Amino acid sequence: MNEGHSDRERRIGRAFVVLADTMVDDYDVIDLLDRLIGYSVELLSADAAGLVLADARGELRVVAASNEDAELMELLQLQSAEGPCLDCFRTSAPVSVEDIVESADRWPGFVAALADRGAFRSVHALPLRLRGQAIGALNLFHHAPGPIPEDDLALGQALADVATIGILSERLIRRGEVVNEQLQTALNSRIVVEQAKGVLAEHAGIGMTEAFDALRRYARSNNVRLADTARQITVGDLAPGVVLAMRR
Amino acid sequence: MTRAVLGGAADADQRVFAERLCRACVDELDVDGAALSVLTAEPARVTLWASDPTAELLEELQFSLNDGACVEAARSGAPVLVPDLTRGTESERWPVFAAAVAERATIGALFALPLQWGAVNLGVLDLYRTSPGGLLPAQYTDLLRAVDLAALLVIGRLTAPVGGDDADGWPDEGSGTHYEVHQATGMVLAQLGVDPVVALARMRAYAFAERRLLVEVARDVVARRLRFTEDMG
Repeated sequence: MNEGHSDRERRIGRAFVVLADTMVDDYDVIDLLDRLIGYSVELLSADAAGLVLADARGELRVVAASNEDAELMELLQLQSAEGPCLDCFRTSAPVSVEDIVESADRWPGFVAALADRGAFRSVHALPLRLRGQAIGALNLFHHAPGPIPEDDLALGQALADVATIGILSERLIRRGEVVNEQLQTALNSRIVVEQAKGVLAEHAGIGMTEAFDALRRYARSNNVRLADTARQITVGDLAPGVVLAMRR
Repeated sequence: MTRAVLGGAADADQRVFAERLCRACVDELDVDGAALSVLTAEPARVTLWASDPTAELLEELQFSLNDGACVEAARSGAPVLVPDLTRGTESERWPVFAAAVAERATIGALFALPLQWGAVNLGVLDLYRTSPGGLLPAQYTDLLRAVDLAALLVIGRLTAPVGGDDADGWPDEGSGTHYEVHQATGMVLAQLGVDPVVALARMRAYAFAERRLLVEVARDVVARRLRFTEDMG
């Protein structure tokens, strides 16, 4: 076993320990998914990653992204209309596109948008599965074309499964009827996070990525839920300056 | 401020809409009654429509006691499902409310679904059945879809520009799922010092006056090509 390999194993082990630790009693789904996306990028050498969930109407919506910039968010959002992610969600099976250039016929709009931004050449979508059905998908974007190693794909699926468990939690899965309720709450939390990002961005004259970083840093260092912090900011219970003061 | 906007919006059209929603629930789902109230977490709450005296009684009890499934749904922004109100573990959550209900009516199951827009609670749809039992997964999905749509319609109506004729809610399809609209809402609320509902209303009024799509206006706000000020039309 070489040095690099064992280091990776260690990092994978640590990732799952942190994720398991995050899932204590009253955890914040948005925070968990944010960490999970971070690990997806780090461990699978992806250049970007995003997580989408289906709302009550079956439309895919972005809940977490490795980069809060407009470009990636837009690409993820586009997938609610067409693209590998939507296909993955519909079939509950992984969809790998090793070179997006060759898929122009299949998803003309999505491929054109990718080409426009010129950034990503391959996309891999892994389903968030529950009882043979998908509730959403994890998307991995790479600048270079080509396949993902088999091991990485399996690890990616494991991370997607953690996401599913995190969103629904085992206790709730057994109750069947609450699946949609949990999804709805997660999606709604994301709306509040977007609004809070807007407040912080406006207050400090910064971009959305930086605003999200500030929000995340404040929540983690104060050991409070990301969604709660976001809510307090949007309703005026928490001054933006207090959150932004923690910026490096 | 939200209260002022919401209060003024409890107009005849809203009551018609509430009636339609409640009737659809009683017809399509296995429940006996339904009621829709707005401003559920506020002192100035209003029941827009109740399908029968029992549904109305449940609303009045919860509001006067400031306790119960509906009040909890409004506060938490999450659905509150009580398949069996007679069971101790369920009634313990709201002892005063459960006792008051037991005195006056026979209620087996209660389902309270919030109409939610981000951090803002717009109202709660309350359903009851005289016999206990949960909803089927398919019924529940239908219900969530209806509530989701109801929330969009209510926020659409609340923030509709004056003179704008878009009773269908959002001016352009899918506005509610564009993240830029939410980010811009945050920026505008900071620019004007208002709450999210008013910020959205201002953006919609601007989009209407300029004959542009809401999402385009939102993108301009996020890209800092457009700023909202107090004296802006």
